Amino acid sequence: MIPAQTQTPLPDIIGDLLGFGTEMGPGETFIASFIGAALVGTLMLTMTALAGPWAKRKITAAFTDRYAVNRIGPAGLLIIVADAVRLLSKELIVPEGVDRPAWDLAPIVIASSALLGFAVIPMGNGIHLADPEAGLVYVFAVASIASVGLVMAGYASNNKFSMLGGLRAVAQNLAYEIPLVLIAASVVLFAGSLQMSEIVAAQTETLVSLGGVAIPSWYVFVNPFAFVLFMVANLMEVGRNPFDIPEAPTEIVAGYQTEYSSAYFVLIYLGEFIHIFLGGAIIATLFLGGPAGPVLPGILWFIIKIWAVFLFTQWARSALPRLRIDQLIEVGWKGMLVLALANLVLTAVIVGVIA
Amino acid sequence: MSLEEPKPTDVGETPDGNVDYAELEALLGDAVIGREEHVNAPAFVVRPDEVQQALGALREEAGFDYCSCVTAQEYEDRYESIYHLKKYDDPTQEVGVVVPTTRDEPVSQSGEAVYRTADWHEREAYDLVGIEYADHPDLRRILLPETWQGHPLGKDYNPEKPQVVPFREHANPLEPDQRGEGSESDTMFINIGPHHPATHGVLHVETVLDGEQIADVEPDIGYLHRCEEQMCQQSTYRHQIMPYPDRWDYVSAGILNEWAYARAAEDMADIEVPEYAQVIRTMSAELCRIASHMLALGTFALDVFGDFTAVFQYAFRDREVVQDILEDLTGQRLMFNYLRLGGVAWDIPEPREEFFEKVRDFLDGLPKKTQEYHNLITSNEIFQLRCVNTGELPPEVAKQYGATGPVARGSGVDIDLRRDDPYGYYEELDWDVITEDGCDNYSRVLVRMREVEESAKIIEQCVDLLEEWPEEERTIQANVPRTLKPDPDTEIYRGVEAAKGELGIYMRSDGTDKPARFKIRSPCFCNLHTLREMTEGEYIPDLIASLGSLDIVLGEVDR
Amino acid sequence: MSSEQEIHDTVSTQEARMGDGVDNRFNSKLREAFGSSPFILTKFDKFMNWVRGSSMFMLQFGIACCSIEMIHTYAIKHDLDRFGAGVPRASPRQADVIIVPGTIVSKFAPRMKRVYDQMPEPKFVVGMGSCTISGGPFQEGYNVIKGAEEVIPVDIHVPGCPPRPEALIYGIAKLQERVANGETSPVTVKPYELEQFGDLERDELVQHLADEIDEDDLVMRYNWANSP
Repeated sequence: MIPAQTQTPLPDIIGDLLGFGTEMGPGETFIASFIGAALVGTLMLTMTALAGPWAKRKITAAFTDRYAVNRIGPAGLLIIVADAVRLLSKELIVPEGVDRPAWDLAPIVIASSALLGFAVIPMGNGIHLADPEAGLVYVFAVASIASVGLVMAGYASNNKFSMLGGLRAVAQNLAYEIPLVLIAASVVLFAGSLQMSEIVAAQTETLVSLGGVAIPSWYVFVNPFAFVLFMVANLMEVGRNPFDIPEAPTEIVAGYQTEYSSAYFVLIYLGEFIHIFLGGAIIATLFLGGPAGPVLPGILWFIIKIWAVFLFTQWARSALPRLRIDQLIEVGWKGMLVLALANLVLTAVIVGVIA
Repeated sequence: MSLEEPKPTDVGETPDGNVDYAELEALLGDAVIGREEHVNAPAFVVRPDEVQQALGALREEAGFDYCSCVTAQEYEDRYESIYHLKKYDDPTQEVGVVVPTTRDEPVSQSGEAVYRTADWHEREAYDLVGIEYADHPDLRRILLPETWQGHPLGKDYNPEKPQVVPFREHANPLEPDQRGEGSESDTMFINIGPHHPATHGVLHVETVLDGEQIADVEPDIGYLHRCEEQMCQQSTYRHQIMPYPDRWDYVSAGILNEWAYARAAEDMADIEVPEYAQVIRTMSAELCRIASHMLALGTFALDVFGDFTAVFQYAFRDREVVQDILEDLTGQRLMFNYLRLGGVAWDIPEPREEFFEKVRDFLDGLPKKTQEYHNLITSNEIFQLRCVNTGELPPEVAKQYGATGPVARGSGVDIDLRRDDPYGYYEELDWDVITEDGCDNYSRVLVRMREVEESAKIIEQCVDLLEEWPEEERTIQANVPRTLKPDPDTEIYRGVEAAKGELGIYMRSDGTDKPARFKIRSPCFCNLHTLREMTEGEYIPDLIASLGSLDIVLGEVDR
Repeated sequence: MSSEQEIHDTVSTQEARMGDGVDNRFNSKLREAFGSSPFILTKFDKFMNWVRGSSMFMLQFGIACCSIEMIHTYAIKHDLDRFGAGVPRASPRQADVIIVPGTIVSKFAPRMKRVYDQMPEPKFVVGMGSCTISGGPFQEGYNVIKGAEEVIPVDIHVPGCPPRPEALIYGIAKLQERVANGETSPVTVKPYELEQFGDLERDELVQHLADEIDEDDLVMRYNWANSP
C-alpha cells in the first residue's frame, strides 16, 4: 500500500514493486523511470483526449445553451474515439514549399514540450517522476520550448497566415514569460525552495482556523494577488481568450496551424490541451497546495484542480473578446511586468521582515 | 443674410425647403442641354465633357452633398449615366444629372473628383454596361473577372459565349515604391478572402501589411455577383420581381428590401397602398430590422471575440424568435416574399390574438436581452479597448462615400429615410433616429443596438394599431391590374431605409410588363467602399472589426 | 474478389475525385500484406466507416443566403453539434465536410475548387440549396454556374431556397448514415477544371486573351452554351 503523501518519486516505488531493491543500477533505473513516465504520460494523454474532442465541446455548449455531442455513445463520449481515429486517418497533406524537417518537427516539439513538464509535478499518491532541486525552473524551461515549436510551425508552413501566427507567438511569448517567472519567484521566496516537493510541503501548514475549519497556507490564500496575476499570465501562456492571438481564428484563419492536417494537426491540438493542463498543474502546485485536499486521495484532488483551471480557461474563451496584438504586448510589458515586479519586491520585503 | 431666416439656404433652394429647378438650371449654365422629368425629381441633361463642372456646382453651390447612385444604361441610340443627387440634410431634395454619350464613343467625364463614391459606381457602370469614364483614377472591372468579354447589361451581349476566368496570384500594389536599390520590399501582400472566416461571405480584401499594420487595403468584390439586375429586368413587375429582393440582403432583411421595390413600383404606377397594409408592412419591416441587427451584432461579436462564443449564439437564439414570428406571418423563415404591389400577400394569421401575444412576448423580453448584450459586449472593457477609436470614419468622409444607415449614423450623420422621406406608417408613429458621434467601430455597434430598441417601440405601436383596427376596414391589397404596364419611358429612383442604409431602386419602363432597366443602389456597396479610409494604418484585428462593424452582406454588395 | 468488382461498377465520389489508377489510399499497405480482404480488415473497414460517419469537422464556409440558415443550424436551437458535426474549422486542411451554401458565380468557382482541393481525403460535400443544384433562381444569370457539381463532386443535395435548418440536419444525418454504411454516391462531375492557360484549345477567345494571361496561369473555362 502506498502512503497517501509520500515524497518518494514514482520510479523508486515502481522499482520497489518490481523488486529491484533500494539501490537500483542504471538499467533498472531506466526501466522503472520508463514505466513511470509511461504511466504519467498516459494519464495526461487520457485527460487530453477527454478534454479535446468532448469536454471542450460540452463546456462551450453549456455556456451557449446547447447540448453538443449526445448521439454517439453515452453523453456523446464515443465521439472521442471517432474524432481521434478519424483525424489520424485523414490524408496528411504536405503543402508545396514547406521547410521539411522543421515543418515535421514543430508538432512534435509543441506536444512533447508540454508533456515533459509533468516530469517534476507532484501529483499525490506518490505519482512524481523526478524531484530535482531546480524543478520549478525546469518546468518553465520546457514549457516555453513550445513557443519554439510555434515559430517553427509558423515559418516552415510557407503560408502567410501561419507566418503571422508564428511571429505573434514570439511576441506574445516574450511579453508573458517574464512576468510569469517573476510571479513564480514570489512563491519561491515564500517556500524558500525551487524544489516542487518543498513548495507543496510548505503549503501544508495551517494558515488560520475559522470555526474549526483549518485553512491551509496555500499560496492562493497567502498571496491572492500573485494568484490572480498568475492566472492571467497563464491564460497568455496557453493562448486562450482573451489572448489566443497566435491562433486568432477570425483574423489569421488558424495561425501557425493553418497548414497542418491529419496526425500533425492532432499533435498540435493535443499540445494545446496538454499545455493547458500543464498550466493547471503549475497553478495547482504553486498556489493550490498541489495534491492536498480532504477525504479524496491526492491524485484525484490534483486532477480536480487541473480541471478547475481548464474550466476557467474555457470560461474565458466563451466570455471574453480577444485583445489586439499590440494591446497584449502593452498589457504584458507595461502592466503585468510592473505588477509582477511589485509583487516580487513586496513579497521579498514581507518574507524578509517576518522571517 | 436676413436675421429672420434660421438657416441660410443653398442656391436653388426655396425658403420652405423645396428645390428651385429653374435656379439650378441657371447655375449649371451652358453644361445643360436639356431637362428630363423623372417621377422622383427632374433631371438635367448634361454634356459628357462638362460632368465634373456640373456636379461640382451642384455640390458646392447648391448643397447636393449626397450622390446616392449612378445608373448606367444603354438605349438604342445612346448610352446614358444618371447621377442621382440628394442632400444629407433633406433627402427629399433631389435632382438627377443625365449624361448621354454616343454609341460609337461611349466616353463621359468621371464624377469621381466631386463625389468619391462615384468611383465604384462608375466602375460598375463600365463593367456591366460598357460606358467609359475619362479621368477616372482606376477604371477596371469591379464585379466580373478582369478577363470577361463583353458588357452583360449592354444590348449586344451574347451570354452563350464562353469565358475564361484566371486564377492567379495578385501583385503587391506597393511593391514598386520600395525604397533603395536592390532592397526587398518590407511589405507583405496577403489575401483576406474570398474564403476567410471573417469576411462574412465571399469578399476578397487585398491587404498589404507592414508588419501587423495595414499599409493598403482594397476590397475586391464580385464573388457573389448573381446578376440580380438582369433577373429583375427579365421578370414582370406584378409578381416575378418580388422574390428577388429577399435575396439581395439575405440577412432576414427581406421585407425591407421588398419594400424598396414595392415603393418604387407603386410610385411609378401610381398605386395607393391601404393604410392597414402599411401598418402591417411597417411592423414586419421592423421585425426584419431587428433580425438583421441581431445578426450584425452576433457576427461582430464573432469577429472581436474570435470564436462561436456566447454572444454570437445568444444573438442567434434571439433571431430564431424573430424568425418564428415572421414565419407565422409570411410562411417563410428567410425569403419572405410577403409584400405585393399595392399591399401585402395576406393578413395577420388567425388566431390574431395568438400572433399578437407572441409578438408582445418577444417585445417584453427584449429589454432584458438588450441589457444582457450590453453587459456582455458594450460594457466589457476589453471590447471597448478593441472598438473605441478604431476604424474611424469622420462624417465628412462618410458623406463623400455616400455612406448611409448605421454606418453614417455612427459617424454622427443624421440621416434616416424613414423620417426624412417618410413612407409607410412611420410618420404617424413615435420613435427616434439614433445617432452617435464616436465615428468608430464602437459607435456603429451602439447605433445598431439602440436601433433595435427603437424598432421594438415601432412594432409595439403597430401591434396596438392592428389590434384595434376595425374588422371591416382590414384591406390588405389595393386594386392593381393583373398585368402592370407603366407608361413608356417613365423613370423613377426611390429609396427606403433598409437595415444597412438607403436601398434605392431605379426603374425605367418601356411600355411592356417588364422594366427596361432595373438598377439597385445597394447601401452595403457604398459602405464597403469606405473600408480603406477606415483601416489604413491600423492593425489586422481592427480591419476585421471594421469589416464586421460595416455589416456588409455580399449578396447586396455584388447583387 | 467480388467486393472489388462492385466498387468498380459505380463511380464513387472518392474515385471520381481521385481519378483512375489510384488504389484505395487507406490501408492499402495492410491490404497488400494480407492479400484480399480478410475478416479483420472488413471489420476494420466497418469501424472506419463508423468513425467517419460519426464525427465530422465542417469547413467554415459561407457563400450566400443559405449560409444564414447554415449558421442557424450550428447555433442554439438546432445545434448540429449534437450529431458530432458541429465543429467549424477555418482552415480547409482540418475539415472533412464542406457545405456549399449558395450561388456559385464565375469569379468564385476557381477559388472554391481550390478550397476543395486543399481539404484532405476523405472529404464530403453537402450542396445546400437550389443554387448548388442548378443555379436556382439565378440559373439564367450570365455569371452563374449552374450548380456546384459543375465544379466539385457533391455527395448530398439539400433542396430548398433556402432549406430550413431541419432540412440541412436531415441532409447531414443522411450523409453520415451513408458514410457509416460504406455507401458512396455515384456522381457525374462536369468538367469545369482548373487548367493551365497554355493547355487550352487556341480558339478565338484564347487568342484574344493571350496578352492578358500567362501561359502557366491557372484558368477555368466556362462553356455557357453547354450548360443546362
